[in-house]
Amino acid sequence: MADTPQKTAESRADAGTSSVTDPMISIQHLSKHFGELEVLRDVNIDIARGEVVVVLGPSGSGKSTMLRCINLLEQPTGGKIFIEGEEITAPKVNVDRLRERVGMVFQQFNLFPHLSAKKNVMLAQRKVLKRSAAEAERVALENLARVGLADRADYMPSQLSGGQQQRVAIARALAMDPHVMLFDEATSALDPELVRGVLDVMRGLAEGGMTMVVVTHEMGFAREVADRVIFMEEGYVVEEGTPEEVFDHPKSDRTKDFLGHIQ
Amino acid sequence: MVCMKESLKTLFTTYVRWAIVLSLLLYLVPAAGWALTSDTATARSNETSTSNVLGGVPTRVTWEAMVDKGESVAAVSLQFPEGSALTEETTVRVTVLDGTERVDTDSTATVDAGASCVNVEFAQPLEEGHRLRIETYDAALPNVEGEVTLAGTYQRDDGEQVPLADSPAIKVTSASPAQKIVNWLDEQPWVQAWNSVPILRLFLNPQLVVSSIPTLVVGWLLSLMLVLLGFPLAIPIGLAFAFMKISRSRILHVIAAIYTGVVRGTPLFLQIYIAFFGLPLMGIKLNDYVLAVLVLAFNSGAYMCEIFRAGIQSIPKGQFEASRSLGMNAVQTMFSVIIPQTVRRVIPTMTSEFILLYKDTSLLAAVGVMELMLYARSLVANTGNMTPYIVAALFYLVVTLPLIHVVGILEKKLALSDEGGADTKKRKNRRGAYQQMAEEIAGGSDDGSVSYQQLANAVDTSYAHGMKGD
Ligand SMILES: Nc1ncnc2c1ncn2[C@@H]1O[C@H](COP(=O)(O)OP(=O)(O)OP(=O)(O)O)[C@@H](O)[C@H]1O
Ligand SMILES: [Mg+2]
Repeated sequence: MADTPQKTAESRADAGTSSVTDPMISIQHLSKHFGELEVLRDVNIDIARGEVVVVLGPSGSGKSTMLRCINLLEQPTGGKIFIEGEEITAPKVNVDRLRERVGMVFQQFNLFPHLSAKKNVMLAQRKVLKRSAAEAERVALENLARVGLADRADYMPSQLSGGQQQRVAIARALAMDPHVMLFDEATSALDPELVRGVLDVMRGLAEGGMTMVVVTHEMGFAREVADRVIFMEEGYVVEEGTPEEVFDHPKSDRTKDFLGHIQ
Repeated sequence: MVCMKESLKTLFTTYVRWAIVLSLLLYLVPAAGWALTSDTATARSNETSTSNVLGGVPTRVTWEAMVDKGESVAAVSLQFPEGSALTEETTVRVTVLDGTERVDTDSTATVDAGASCVNVEFAQPLEEGHRLRIETYDAALPNVEGEVTLAGTYQRDDGEQVPLADSPAIKVTSASPAQKIVNWLDEQPWVQAWNSVPILRLFLNPQLVVSSIPTLVVGWLLSLMLVLLGFPLAIPIGLAFAFMKISRSRILHVIAAIYTGVVRGTPLFLQIYIAFFGLPLMGIKLNDYVLAVLVLAFNSGAYMCEIFRAGIQSIPKGQFEASRSLGMNAVQTMFSVIIPQTVRRVIPTMTSEFILLYKDTSLLAAVGVMELMLYARSLVANTGNMTPYIVAALFYLVVTLPLIHVVGILEKKLALSDEGGADTKKRKNRRGAYQQMAEEIAGGSDDGSVSYQQLANAVDTSYAHGMKGD
């Protein structure tokens, strides 16, 4: 993969994909078009078990699309994606079974508004994992406690603050015992004072060894928690490396530009 | 004067004396046959908008008889059947005819209310060929279902008492409570005053209000039955077509689009005509009510399809994605996540659709399905008065007005709960409320400042009490 031609050759990262063995996620030559619009172009990323990868990039650079390709909410146009060695882009792959292993947290929380926090966390356990009601409830309360919301179990989503809703959404994903967690701007829709609670939960997850792909604009979080930072622009991976490398010694002008704007 | 029937009855009921009765009857039967032959007995209809003669309600009873050959009649005692009610109000008019000529006779008529007898004495005996007519006004026949006859006796010139043969039968219908109220209303001065105003009499006649209720209640129940069977049937039809409409299959989509397009694009009136006249032409014969329910369901299903489709598509895409990302398949997502949310959203529109369908049952009157509208129409045709339509309107409103109210409440609730979502605007609004709460807390604290924790506590408390921050 190291010899994959990239149009912005200067941006090739040293701490590249080749260093990862037995990757949790392997993205190879991924491309995605919406009609004429090329959103992802030859993306190659390997993510190791337990690694926390933060994806940065300006709006419209394809960050969300890449995350959504990893659990097939978008069908890639080209390339391959492997999760734990299994090719999920192969035809006739069981999409639902794949998604059990890949949890996703959305910018807009997307809690089920007709169900209480606890029931939100229980639903997929019951339907997909076929857990008993008692078992599902136990797991739900466990995970709600993990995100600090044990006392809100019976609240409806509309009775919870945005930050609390997002933490319930995280608990909901965790209850499925995923091997990978994808976060798509999990804190962007939150009022500033509510961001911290969610980031704390994510930090805790990272420390617990969860493999995470995190799209965020929280630079402090990225610097502190990320094992690797990937900078994307116009569908390309422009730069990648450790937080120190990318933040303190960015190689690409675009990365410098972007970081300048953010800070 | 003796009222024979009364005494005969006593004899009859005195079981041990049956033999005496028999011999008495034999004695009384004249060998020459009946000499005052009753050929007419009628009573004037006393029920509004029907030709029925009601028992227990005053009416005019007309009895006629011919004086036979060689007879002369000095007096007649007309015995009303048992259970009749003659009162102080009861009056009698006696007419004697010779052919078509009126004969001037002096007669005195008395009413024996206790014995239910009308007694008529003539100054000059009636002669052969005379026709006697006795009209008894304001006499109530027994309140029974069936036929009654008038009997009695007459007195010859020579003083001999001869029994009268039973008159032809009068068919009596027992009076309903409503009719009794109507008759009571007839008497009331305020009702008469009310009805003296033409517009009130024509549109809100109190007697017709009362007398049309029993009939219209039946029609109302039939209309309700039609809609209560048709509407639930329309729900699965609508749901099935809604799934077809949003499905990726081109064919299913087109079928559903044709169905909803045609049904919603043509009048229900026309669909009813086609169903009721077209199906029999094809040799399909169904019970009117069954067909009516099917047509209503078929029609409403198309509207329901659009309601469900719009409802499902109004659920944010994020709900599908969140559900699928948790590993739930399309069917699980639809039934556990999308439909429950859709139901909440579509209940107000569905209630409106129910109201429309209920009102539309009236169109079935055009093809003779007996329901509220048709009953009202026939009452109006019988009485020439608009009141039954007004009463029918009330029967429609009894159902629709509360439902319209419910729709209003549901829509308000829905609007509130929709704002409970994760949109930023809502939270901005909430913050305004938080600010206010913060100020309230500050008012009570020493230094006037509010800690974040205090604020958060206040907010959590307000959520716990289900407060909406707007
Ligand atoms: N379903 C779609 N159909 C067509 N175009 C799409 C679709 N989804 C995304 N796009 C386009 O793809 C491009 C990349 O979108 P994407 O959401 O991946 O960007 P992003 O990096 O996540 O941006 P942001 O920071 O704003 O979330 C955008 O130009 C967007 O308009
Ligand atoms: Mg995005």
